[in-house]
Amino acid sequence: MTSPSDPELRARALEALLIGKGLITEAAIDDRITLFNQRVGPMNGSRVVARAWADAAFKAELLLDATAAIAPYQFVGGQVDKLVVVENTPEVHNVVVCTLCSCYPLAVMGLPPKWYKDPAYRSRVVREPREVLAEFGLMLNPDREVRVWDSSAEVRYMVLPMMPQRLAAADEATRIAAIHRDALIGVVEV
Amino acid sequence: MFQMVNAAFVAGLIGNVDQFRHAIERIDPAAYLSDSYFGRWLGGLETLLVEREVIRTAELNDRVEELGGAVSRIAARPSATPDRVAYPPGGRHGQRPILAAPLYQPGQRVRALSRGLAGHTRLPQYARGRDGIIVAWHDGWVYPDSNAHGLGEYPQHLYTVCFEGKELWGEDAEPGIRVHLDLFEPYLEPVVPDQPEQDEP
Amino acid sequence: MPELEGIAAPPLLNGELDFEAPWQGRVSVIASALSDAGCFPWADFQSSLIRTIAAHEAKTDQPYRYYDHFLEALLSLLAQKQIVGEGELQSLAEMLKQLPPGRDHAHDHDHDHDHPAH
Repeated sequence: MTSPSDPELRARALEALLIGKGLITEAAIDDRITLFNQRVGPMNGSRVVARAWADAAFKAELLLDATAAIAPYQFVGGQVDKLVVVENTPEVHNVVVCTLCSCYPLAVMGLPPKWYKDPAYRSRVVREPREVLAEFGLMLNPDREVRVWDSSAEVRYMVLPMMPQRLAAADEATRIAAIHRDALIGVVEV
Repeated sequence: MFQMVNAAFVAGLIGNVDQFRHAIERIDPAAYLSDSYFGRWLGGLETLLVEREVIRTAELNDRVEELGGAVSRIAARPSATPDRVAYPPGGRHGQRPILAAPLYQPGQRVRALSRGLAGHTRLPQYARGRDGIIVAWHDGWVYPDSNAHGLGEYPQHLYTVCFEGKELWGEDAEPGIRVHLDLFEPYLEPVVPDQPEQDEP
Repeated sequence: MPELEGIAAPPLLNGELDFEAPWQGRVSVIASALSDAGCFPWADFQSSLIRTIAAHEAKTDQPYRYYDHFLEALLSLLAQKQIVGEGELQSLAEMLKQLPPGRDHAHDHDHDHDHPAH
């Protein structure tokens, strides 16, 4: 059996020390791991978007004060101090990043994908978003404004994508399944 | 810089606590509680002094009430044990009420500082020295990295600032790009008409 | 031009692997648990992470491993807060390294399950 890598060894030692000092318990950590593994995060965001598509009053509240609008859902998996939802329109496309450290609205969107944390995405999407989006397969009309939201403080951002025509007659469950996490970040459309 | 004034004042104060107390007592309550630069300064200083146990919170509260002020409007109190903060479950960890009104309004032109922010992690390099427009105000938040400067929580107003792509990246920037950053008030300065732009490498 | 990974395929609940190794998930969870317990404000951890990442990005020859930086940022903050010191961490890491394979529990407790032969 090979020795664990340095970071892994340090991580295990850290956990042991913290348990020994009474600051955490193994049970609490295991419970939280289970929660993260359930990965309900992105589904939460998709549910919110699907409801906004169907309920104009909810959509208005979501755009005005997203934190309050999602509070009744009591999403777990990380505290979102303040959430701002930015709406895609025919005139504007939004995309979200954290150039400094990859922070992400865990409660509504679960864990971020690996590419979101990558230095290439983080540095390029603020500089050449159209090029980056094209690499994701999203070709935007040059007349459409691109707004990049760099989460440099405690505010977290989620994109409200436009509903495509093909979902106009679909039921809520179908719509939720179609709203991919990447559309909530803004690198694709639904 | 406000922070340097704070530290120097306090350094001179530690041996003069009584003088400071008397100075506080002489302050006109309207000035103390008004939305003013002085009010914010006092709030920050108060936080610092309470943390260092120069003044007890109760003493200040009593005095403010005596002067007819509202204790709840005083800037954020530090915790009794600064290294352990009790967060309410599901609570707004970083938000704090601030006494003073925000300096900037949506629609106002501002410039991100290009110097004087050593040790501050929340102003990306690409925006330093660049001009943008305030598009939103998010009230007061714990100022990141303030602990490193011995200032406790030191809550500050937070804004979303919108920067045009060409402002950040020059004429070769992709067309129709706007980058939004959430920036704390101390990172910004107002843009004065005819003020020369700083050329950042 | 660096390549970006493509879009993860649906279904939503079965995205790409978030953690390459279990320790990464545990460290993530430990950081948020400590913050919730009041050991540090989350913004302080974030600032530590930002600094750690920036220091790494100054050394462009090394590959980027997000969770290595995450761990170091946490350790740096805990050392600064005098909650966990580098010395005790190294000592324990050394001890764990000496343990025979299979004896990989980070703490003592009674249990009935079998260990692999060692």
